[in-house]
Amino acid sequence: MPENPYLNVLVTAALTLLFIVASSFGLGALARGVARLRGATPKQQANTFAGYLFAAPWIVGFLIFVVVPLGFSLYWSFTDYRVTANQPPQWLGFENYQNLLFKDDSFRASIVNTLYLTVIGLPLQMGFALLLAVMLNQKLKGERVFRMAFYLPVILGFNTAVLLCWRLMLNTGTGIINQMWRAAASVPLIGYLLRALIYVQEIFSAFFLGINNGKFNLLTKVIEAGFPAENRVPLWVQSPMWSKMSVILLMIWGCGAMMLIFLAGLNNIPKELHEAAEVDGATGWQRFWKISFPLLTPYIFYNLVVGMINSLQIFEPIFVLYRDNQPLVPSAISMVYYLWQKSFSHFEIGYGSAISWVILVFILIVTVIQFRLQDRWVTYDVY
Amino acid sequence: MKKYWPMFRSLLLYFLLTGATVVMSFPLFWMISSSLKTVQETNSPGIVWIPAEPTLQAYIDIFQNQDFLRSYFNSVFYVTLALVGTILSIAAVAYAFSRVEWPGRNLVFFLMLSTMMIPPQALIVPQYVFFNKLDWIGTFNPLIIPGYFAGGAAMIFLLRQSMAQIPKELDESAFVDGANHIQIWWEIILPLVKAPLATIATFLFVGLWNSLLTPLMYLQTVNLYTLPVYVSTLFNINQTVQPWPTIMTAAVLTTVPLIVVFFFAQRYILESVVVSGLKG
Repeated sequence: MPENPYLNVLVTAALTLLFIVASSFGLGALARGVARLRGATPKQQANTFAGYLFAAPWIVGFLIFVVVPLGFSLYWSFTDYRVTANQPPQWLGFENYQNLLFKDDSFRASIVNTLYLTVIGLPLQMGFALLLAVMLNQKLKGERVFRMAFYLPVILGFNTAVLLCWRLMLNTGTGIINQMWRAAASVPLIGYLLRALIYVQEIFSAFFLGINNGKFNLLTKVIEAGFPAENRVPLWVQSPMWSKMSVILLMIWGCGAMMLIFLAGLNNIPKELHEAAEVDGATGWQRFWKISFPLLTPYIFYNLVVGMINSLQIFEPIFVLYRDNQPLVPSAISMVYYLWQKSFSHFEIGYGSAISWVILVFILIVTVIQFRLQDRWVTYDVY
Repeated sequence: MKKYWPMFRSLLLYFLLTGATVVMSFPLFWMISSSLKTVQETNSPGIVWIPAEPTLQAYIDIFQNQDFLRSYFNSVFYVTLALVGTILSIAAVAYAFSRVEWPGRNLVFFLMLSTMMIPPQALIVPQYVFFNKLDWIGTFNPLIIPGYFAGGAAMIFLLRQSMAQIPKELDESAFVDGANHIQIWWEIILPLVKAPLATIATFLFVGLWNSLLTPLMYLQTVNLYTLPVYVSTLFNINQTVQPWPTIMTAAVLTTVPLIVVFFFAQRYILESVVVSGLKG
């Protein structure tokens, strides 16, 4: 293999292509042989050959990059395997899983954080997405420009460079967000409202941090400290009570993807329903809650599942926002971030594999439960 | 009063929508504005909306920064190479799932759809060990090669849906003329699905360009860093004063390709997301 990294990958890519073409023709020929033995017509044989020929890249890739890795990681998750160690992995039975589920504080933190993002972040994110979608659905001129502006953050959202810009804006002392916060807080009534926001947020946050370590002294401290002083500002990237809120801010900024789903939902609502209601004298507000909202529940449900699964996988924001403040990481850690930390800074492959499998099973359970529950509260009628 | 309501209503809507647009685009504005400031201005306790004397110093400096230029080249290089192979293989697999009748198709298709439930991160640990065995750590290979095996079930699904809508008569008449499947795929079907291909290319481009986790795991030396990895090193805990204008200049230059691509592809993206109900 050539030393030059660019040549090296070009050669590997060319060899990979050769391998794929060869295995495609191989698989195609094999399938045609089987079809011939089973007495297929020449036309069917040709189609079998073509089908396996074209599908082979995925089939081969599925075996190499999904089935085999999943099998190995299932085995390793029952061992103490480390990449750095030279001895073969030792069988541990369920020890990794027991430690992970019942003894590991960081993993419990990641579950609680996901819960926080689901309970507090997702409703906010979906609320904004729905609001934007309803406004865009009024079919104003220039709607497309607004739609682009609202979707752009989804494209940019998880780029390190853009996250660093957020890091700059969220700076407690000199960041633009807190500068504006201070300016707004000097207005009498708004100032009171903003302080109330800080109070409520910190109580919620302290409560969740309390669930996490089993001690609620932070919550009592926050409540005892009473209503925040006039000069208080959010400590976005500085305090464990605010670290998740910064992530939620990013989620709200990236609500464009959910907005598009809601727009599709609003478009699918038959116009006749609204027209009939209007004739009966229903106000816009009533029509939204009695017609649009119930018919949107499948889309809300979809966004809920996807949003929850995404919040398990948050990586880049935590990496970029809290790198300079390691003590903050546990207060915002996601399952995937923890997986990365364990596997690649500590090289505990066995333990990391156990985390992967727990994430996998967790996602399956969430999806199945949501699909079961949707029958109860999701309206599919009318269609 | 009733007469003026529709006009008032649309004025109000425009006002709200414009307000939301300003808020949503603010980080971009702030990025550009900060890239034109001095270090003192970015760290000052007062608000500097637009620098009084914009300076291009950070831009001049960054174009002399070898590490930055190399990481830019690395990103362009790896994204291009990965994109070509991934799109080709996805196009082939989508053809098999939409235009050819073969035994086992439904089973394989079902398997493919069910892989959408597997979070890619659940596979990174064993894949890392696998690439380590191949001696691929410290090369671009792990970021590029997996895509060549039609990486991305959601993208295959999207393309399959478009290909399935093309009338069957097209291939049948081509068969009568003596064409084979490879010719039909390349010469008839692919030209007809240019728009979905553009959409998929955009999604893949965005994903690859933004990717941080895998480059961070596999590229380990500065020479190989892609843009996101390199840019993240500019913000360093050990510096007493963060060089924000430099960081924001790098950020502007990193986001420009994304915005350009989005601008040209938005009309496909905004529709396809709705059609397929997928997230980008």
